[in-house]
Amino acid sequence: MSAPARDLGPIIGPGHTFETVTDKIAAVVLSETRKGWMLGFGISFVLLTIFLQCVAVLFVRGIGIWGINIPVGWGFDIINFVWWIGIGHAGTLISAILLLFRQTWRTSINRFAEAMTLFAVACAGLYPILHLGRPWLFYWLLPYPNAMGMWPNFRSPLMWDVFAVSTYATVSALFWFVGLIPDLATLRDRSTSKVGRIIYGILAMGWRGSARHWNRYETAYLLLAGLSTPLVVSVHSVVSFDFAVGIIPGWHATIFPPYFVAGAIYAGFAMVLTLTIPLRRYYGLEDFITMRHINYMARVMLATGLVVAYGYMMEIFMAWYSGNPYESFMVKNRLTGPYKTLYAALILTNVIIPQLLWFQRVRTNIPLLFAVAMSINVGMWLERYVIIVVSLHRDFLPSSWGMYAGTIFDYGTFIGTIGLFLTLLFLFIRLLPMISIFEMRTLLPEAKVKEKHA
Amino acid sequence: MSSAMDDRSRLMLPADHPLFRVRPLALGAGAIGLAVSLAGALIDTTQFFQSYLFGFLFWFGIAMGSLALLMIYHVTGGAWGSVIRRSLESAVRTIPVLAVLFIPVVVGLQSLYEWADAAKVAHDPLLQHKSVYLNVPFFIGRAVLYFVVWTLLAVFLSRWSEAQENGEPRAIGWLENLSRGGLVALGLTFTFAAVDWAMSLEPHWYSTLYGVLVMGGCLLSAMAFMIQVTALLTKNGPLSGVVQPMQFHDLGKLMFAFVMLWAYFSLSQLLIIWSGNLPEETPWYLKRMSGGWEYLGLCLILFHFALPFVILLSRDIKRNARLIATVALFILCVRVLEVYWLITPAFSPHHARVHWLDVTAWLGVGGVWLWAFTGGLRGRALIVWNDPSLPAAGGHA
Repeated sequence: MSAPARDLGPIIGPGHTFETVTDKIAAVVLSETRKGWMLGFGISFVLLTIFLQCVAVLFVRGIGIWGINIPVGWGFDIINFVWWIGIGHAGTLISAILLLFRQTWRTSINRFAEAMTLFAVACAGLYPILHLGRPWLFYWLLPYPNAMGMWPNFRSPLMWDVFAVSTYATVSALFWFVGLIPDLATLRDRSTSKVGRIIYGILAMGWRGSARHWNRYETAYLLLAGLSTPLVVSVHSVVSFDFAVGIIPGWHATIFPPYFVAGAIYAGFAMVLTLTIPLRRYYGLEDFITMRHINYMARVMLATGLVVAYGYMMEIFMAWYSGNPYESFMVKNRLTGPYKTLYAALILTNVIIPQLLWFQRVRTNIPLLFAVAMSINVGMWLERYVIIVVSLHRDFLPSSWGMYAGTIFDYGTFIGTIGLFLTLLFLFIRLLPMISIFEMRTLLPEAKVKEKHA
Repeated sequence: MSSAMDDRSRLMLPADHPLFRVRPLALGAGAIGLAVSLAGALIDTTQFFQSYLFGFLFWFGIAMGSLALLMIYHVTGGAWGSVIRRSLESAVRTIPVLAVLFIPVVVGLQSLYEWADAAKVAHDPLLQHKSVYLNVPFFIGRAVLYFVVWTLLAVFLSRWSEAQENGEPRAIGWLENLSRGGLVALGLTFTFAAVDWAMSLEPHWYSTLYGVLVMGGCLLSAMAFMIQVTALLTKNGPLSGVVQPMQFHDLGKLMFAFVMLWAYFSLSQLLIIWSGNLPEETPWYLKRMSGGWEYLGLCLILFHFALPFVILLSRDIKRNARLIATVALFILCVRVLEVYWLITPAFSPHHARVHWLDVTAWLGVGGVWLWAFTGGLRGRALIVWNDPSLPAAGGHA
């Protein structure tokens, strides 16, 4: 996105050399622990313990502690699953697609966004397993020859989810780790503690930075980017099939796959902004994650947000156009039924407020942009709530209608996974370089060696 | 300054370039095609309108895809767009011609669309429900609105592009801002145009993905067409030496992306409708999966997706102007089949057929359109003279 119109500032602040870049990024890992980090990690860890408590109760008493019941058989567990896995998509988009399109601005945010992907997928993956009722039998989800003579239903998208999410987690982890290797070697060489040298040394897998190493590295990285690219689209498409292949009005819509993918990227960029804005401030990384990055991310959010709004519009139009009474009831129930406040909040937070991003002044106003990103985080969660709960609670038979509300355990588990996510993130920031050191160095004027891949 | 003028004129298309020499030929083919089709209308009026709609929608799709690509380029920038920008602008400038070419569709509303036939609507509650939207005056009003929006976009995209060429520094900002709003306007108008002109051929059927699916196909048509034109301009034209393998590589990647995008949309729609298996949704596919149409569908899977997918994986092919142009031409041919598969089974369900009018109408619209398109390339430097991403177009690695 070498935007033709305006000069949005550099993608790396002025006055940096190879050495200052390395120092600045490695220092976050190699220096003493800061108080602010301890505080943040402490809070996150407390939230994580809430998760552990909720799960402990769940294992003892079963999923009856949640708010789900017929007709709403899917509640917080699936809402949160979709929310988390959507958030992960920005990382894959940044790391894979922007690499293939030679968008060098991705460099300072890709490492961080990929880590976010991994942690978000971890949080997401927990929910379907917890929802199993007997989570210790989770391996029954996999097709393996067994004495029971039972196979999973290959026509079920829930089965495809198992493949999609596990592939996603594997490839993302590989991609992230391969990208880390040269930096792990830097940490190995700079670490002053013996333990650090040994651990980083093992993880660096003998990286010495020879031309042959770099050559192989570039090839491997490019191939992994190629493998990751379809995952940006496929994972959330399969997630959307969880709903769309059924015939429930509000779920069964052909636009679901692309509209879910756009929503995932939308939510993901909102989360990247939510996390980078405080981080770059706290660690003084404004020279690496510049206003230009922030501006680009805001633009991607605006574009994907418009696609999401298009999806809402098409659902409403086609519900009327189809002449199908169930479809039109679904829309009417969303707009005027018992959950109408949530739908209004969804439109406000996910469609109306993000329109502020049209303005350059909003995109470069950090507090305001942070507020918009938070609004989208909330809006995308509400979107899944509306899709899942509001479509289910009034089905074809009025006699079986009901209402749904999450219990304290539902909320506890959700807050708990936020704790898990943040805990992992704080550990990552402290233990690994959150910005790719060697890729940042290639952006410096000194490094006129242009990347030539494809 | 004088050397700058020299450079600029060197980037213009010489009057004896093959693209110009085929102009009279295109116009001739168009005129003959349309004349023969009109003669055919005397024999079989209904068939004429059906064939004409198919021919129109194919060429219209290239112009619409080009409009989308041009505006995407103005918003995102990138070397890929700098080299095809003039050709995109030429394609966009054909929109007023397409508006004129749309007139026969309006004339043929009653024979094309079930909902325009009062007798059928009288016995069909569903069509009565939809008649608020699907009625002749509103249909025509919407079509006028669409063409006004697209023509306005085309006019200002051209005018400000010329202003940029003449050294107006603010023009780039104007183009960018226009394109932002323009993409939203195009998204909305194109979706409803697709619903009106193609989806409502089968007025009982609906799919929320339809507009997106058709747009995906148009983007592919436009990109394949642009690669073909750029290869011609590079081979023995002013772009030789300017457009490098790198740029073909980029264009090829985009074409590859659009091939996959089309397949992704098509598969999504098919899978969701197949698994839902609802009587109001499946007929669209049932009509297209029997009586010979299924072979055309199979062709699309193989030649619209599988074969281009495998071929375009190759980096060497994407970087070779001649080879990538061949692939693009092949894709354009398959695009014709896809539009045919989308449209014609609505008229001839469960029974595959090709009428000679399908060929002449397609040729007729196409000839006129190509004549208009090549006309747009006259008298302009084929690379924007003061495009800020031009150094990138020259030597970006």
